[in-house]
Amino acid sequence: MCIYITLNYLFLTVCLCVHVFFFFSVPTVPQQVSLSPNLETQQLTLSWLGGESTTFDIMILRTELNETTVSVTADKISGQHQWNWTSVEPLECTSLSVQIRSRDGQTTSDWSDTHILPGMDLPSNKDSQMFPQDRVVSVGTNTTFCCIVEEGLGFGSIRYRDLVMNVTRLSRRSYAMTQINQGPSGVTGTNVFCSSDEKTLLNGAVVFVGYPPLPSDLVCETHDLVSAVCQWNRGRDTHLYGKKRKTYYTLNGRDCTEANQNQKWSACSLAQWDGNFTLVARNLLGQYSLTDSSELSLRVRPVAPANLTSVVRAWNATLLWQWKHRGYDSLALICQVELTSHWHTTTRTFSGVGLRSVIVLDLRPDEDYSIKVRCGVQQNFWNWGDWSGPLAFRTSIDIPDAPDVWMWIERDNTGRLMWKVSIIIYYYYSIVVIIIIVLFVSRNRQRLNWFDLKKKKKKYKRLFKSKLTAYMDGGFPLSWQSDANASCGYVVEWHDASCQQDCAVEWIKVAAENTNISAQSENFQPGVRYTLSLYSCSSEVPQLLQRWEGYMEELVPSSSVPHLSSNQQDSNIKLSWGEIPLVSRRGFLLGYHIYLNNGSQLMLLANVSDPTSRSYTVKGLPVGSYKFTVKAYTSAGEDTGATVSISLESYSRFLFNLVIVKCYNILFSIVARVKKAFYPDIPEPKLAGDWSRTQGPLDVKPSPHSMVHIVEEPEWDSSKEALVVIPEEDEDEDETGDEPVDTDEPTSLRYYNQVIDDRPIRPRFPDSSASSASSLDSARTDVTYTGIQTSGNSLGGYRPQMQPGSLSQDMGLPAPQAFSEPQPTKGASFGGYQPQCSWHLDSPVEAEESGGLAPSLGSPTSVASTQFLLPDSGSKEQPEGKGQGSSSATTWFHNLLSSAKP
Amino acid sequence: MADRRTRGMTGTEPSRTTAARAAAIAEQLHHECALLLELFRKKESLSPDLTVADGRLVTVPPPSSQLDTRDKLWRLHSALLQCRSLLERAITKEEEELGGAEKGDYQSQRKTVRDRLSLLLANTGELLKATDGTAVLTPSLEGLEIDGPTILFEVKLWIYRIFKELDYWTKTAITTLQGLPSVTAKERGRTTAVRRRRSTRR
Repeated sequence: MCIYITLNYLFLTVCLCVHVFFFFSVPTVPQQVSLSPNLETQQLTLSWLGGESTTFDIMILRTELNETTVSVTADKISGQHQWNWTSVEPLECTSLSVQIRSRDGQTTSDWSDTHILPGMDLPSNKDSQMFPQDRVVSVGTNTTFCCIVEEGLGFGSIRYRDLVMNVTRLSRRSYAMTQINQGPSGVTGTNVFCSSDEKTLLNGAVVFVGYPPLPSDLVCETHDLVSAVCQWNRGRDTHLYGKKRKTYYTLNGRDCTEANQNQKWSACSLAQWDGNFTLVARNLLGQYSLTDSSELSLRVRPVAPANLTSVVRAWNATLLWQWKHRGYDSLALICQVELTSHWHTTTRTFSGVGLRSVIVLDLRPDEDYSIKVRCGVQQNFWNWGDWSGPLAFRTSIDIPDAPDVWMWIERDNTGRLMWKVSIIIYYYYSIVVIIIIVLFVSRNRQRLNWFDLKKKKKKYKRLFKSKLTAYMDGGFPLSWQSDANASCGYVVEWHDASCQQDCAVEWIKVAAENTNISAQSENFQPGVRYTLSLYSCSSEVPQLLQRWEGYMEELVPSSSVPHLSSNQQDSNIKLSWGEIPLVSRRGFLLGYHIYLNNGSQLMLLANVSDPTSRSYTVKGLPVGSYKFTVKAYTSAGEDTGATVSISLESYSRFLFNLVIVKCYNILFSIVARVKKAFYPDIPEPKLAGDWSRTQGPLDVKPSPHSMVHIVEEPEWDSSKEALVVIPEEDEDEDETGDEPVDTDEPTSLRYYNQVIDDRPIRPRFPDSSASSASSLDSARTDVTYTGIQTSGNSLGGYRPQMQPGSLSQDMGLPAPQAFSEPQPTKGASFGGYQPQCSWHLDSPVEAEESGGLAPSLGSPTSVASTQFLLPDSGSKEQPEGKGQGSSSATTWFHNLLSSAKP
Repeated sequence: MADRRTRGMTGTEPSRTTAARAAAIAEQLHHECALLLELFRKKESLSPDLTVADGRLVTVPPPSSQLDTRDKLWRLHSALLQCRSLLERAITKEEEELGGAEKGDYQSQRKTVRDRLSLLLANTGELLKATDGTAVLTPSLEGLEIDGPTILFEVKLWIYRIFKELDYWTKTAITTLQGLPSVTAKERGRTTAVRRRRSTRR
């Protein structure tokens, strides 16, 4: 069915009707016309009975002003014809009249009776009104408003917000205006005001212009491992507020009343996790759906840790919290701890099953911190949970541990105190104050001195043989037998074995339960021999337990054997050489290769595998000239070699030359003795203490009971952990030319008249009774006493060499008791030895103990000796000059014979 | 119509301090009402050149020169009580129907006016109690358009009229409270003192 449409004013429609009278059959006039208005949609539904006609003309007129016709297409339903018409203006604005006629081609019926839809502008409704009211429309649409002026008042204007609009008059009292392309309204809508000509507000309407909902990002997760919490982004602002216009949400069909209207994100919960979630957002302008689906285990987001507490210490703090849900007990968690101090924030990460406490390390003492925690699941990590509330605390004040102290005794008996301070302390404190407390023990309480230590060292030297250790894995692996006396553990110390002075000493303390370590240092150098010593730590002096030597990496010797010489012995050639200095060996010597130079080539004659060998005899060579090369070798290879030449003579000629040389030597010796006896040299002035710097070592047999006191004695406080190491210089010297294998036999201890300082050697003042005149000139005699030890038994009648004109004698004082009486603890072991120093006088205590001897020497007098006093021939002390003066002819002859011995 | 109880007319004068304080609160409330009205007009784009016809929402006996102090106080107190009921209903309805949950100057001022009105009511109630020694009456809200309209534009007009009504009654309160005998005497005293001071300065 098709309805023909006309669109004109009334008179035009009438004209059209005139034309239809040319048809032969006249359609029936539509009957039972009815009007059904929908005021909200401004839609008018027409229905009628139209007979056989399929085409109708419909005329809708504004009753009063007859202005409007419309063109439509209508359908036939259930025998009734019905047609919907939507008005631009609200249907209430004014009355509408409707007429319908049937059409068959060009033939039309008469118009039906006029049916009127009454408007609100009827005279019976006197009040002012406005339409539509509370309309909700989409942004961009056009809306027509009409104002019906109160009966008796004049129309003024219609304002959209505060904008005066152009109006169209619909009826006597009704005026309309259209707002096109409306923008979104405010929270309470957009007001349209209708006012009278006297600018009195007559009425008005509110229109809400907004959008349908458009949410996004629906995500569901669980906090308690049971229920679901779904979140979504509300999307753009709908501009529709109030309980009738706001957006309503349903999640899986359940109303989400808790969805917050004022936040960008909304959330809704379901009591049980359902793998599939559907969110429907709905408002008056439309609806929108979102879906999400997941397994529960993939969407676990822990809640914020609750009841945060802390146990605070100086450098760390234990952080504890609780979980609201029991399911967390077996949940593998990863947690972030955010630490803020002085506006600086750091984050630490921890993990664990059911994690509810962590220890936060590396804090600073006495600092304010603010801390908070959040967690996620380790497996199938989904998202971090919420942060806990902040917890503020202040760390405790720290009392630093005692520094790691070690002591090294130099060759001049000066002690070098070394310590390590934790790098943390340096890092956190700009100023580190270390108070060094050196305690000395009373001589009566404990006799402990460097000489005791030396003796012990020698003892250790006999007891322990240095072992070789191979560097591996970045260190020297050391292991040892547990020592019962090591109550406070062990100390492993190492240094360059060839170092003589100011050695770089390193050490490490080892707990008592450990019996092996790897000595590691960044300072290890290839080709340098290191001596590593193990000491036990106890309340007593550290005991040397073990010693190792090793190279980080062995190299070839840096120098060849020194003093290579060749001598003919009979018909053989004996090659002799000196010892390569330790510093030049750069590895453990394994032996020597003896080469015969044959032109430009070296022919290996022998491999001397004993590294202690110093000679080799080449036999069976014919007379002639030879050139030999000796090369020492280590595991890394051999050195460049030293070369010596020799001309091998016949054996008879060799014997003749030898006899001639011997006779010449004997004759020269006799002449020299005769000259010395009868024409002696005028002696030069003799100064006490005129000792040669190059004086050789004095070897003495040590006595197990001997003891010599030096200037001060360190007090050993068993309550302190500071360790004292035994002086090493003698041992170093002993071993300088040796392989690292100590001899087992009791050692003859060597004592050197070693001058420590480089200043000119002044006459020493070794003894108050045998002081030199020069020493008297100085009120403070600065003398250093080094390396002295005596053995009464072994030395027999050895006495310190006495200087002529002792001070005590010159001053008329009695001879110091110390000279005539040995030390109480030494007894007879000292024999004839008398210590040179009068250190008793430096100490008031000692002065008292010694019966106030020689107080006139005064203090400060630091007395030591760099000389060893040679025993005279007799048991009495005799001035040196006197001894020389008493030489007799018999004596010189005896000496002559002695010196003539080969 | 507000209920009016039969009371004994003792003619006791209200406390000077309370009356003065109530008058000061009324002045403050009046100022705050004016500001609230201004904010409302601005929010709703109600042009200043448009006149909104008044409509009385509060019903009390008409003013009369025959009323004594207690009746004036009672009339004022009753009107203010109705205003408070209307105001609270307006706030609720506005938030429900129009979605005024957002926090802005208007909402803040609205709360200020409500609180100040309660304070003023406490003071007028105290004055009333001091006057006749009886308990403060509870106004009957019968006949009061307490539910308000349903059409939103009319709701807005209704709210505006409530504010206007409050403005009117706070103005009335100022007049009434300042016209109380004790306050008048006090003010007279103050005025005299000021004049004396000024005379002395001259």
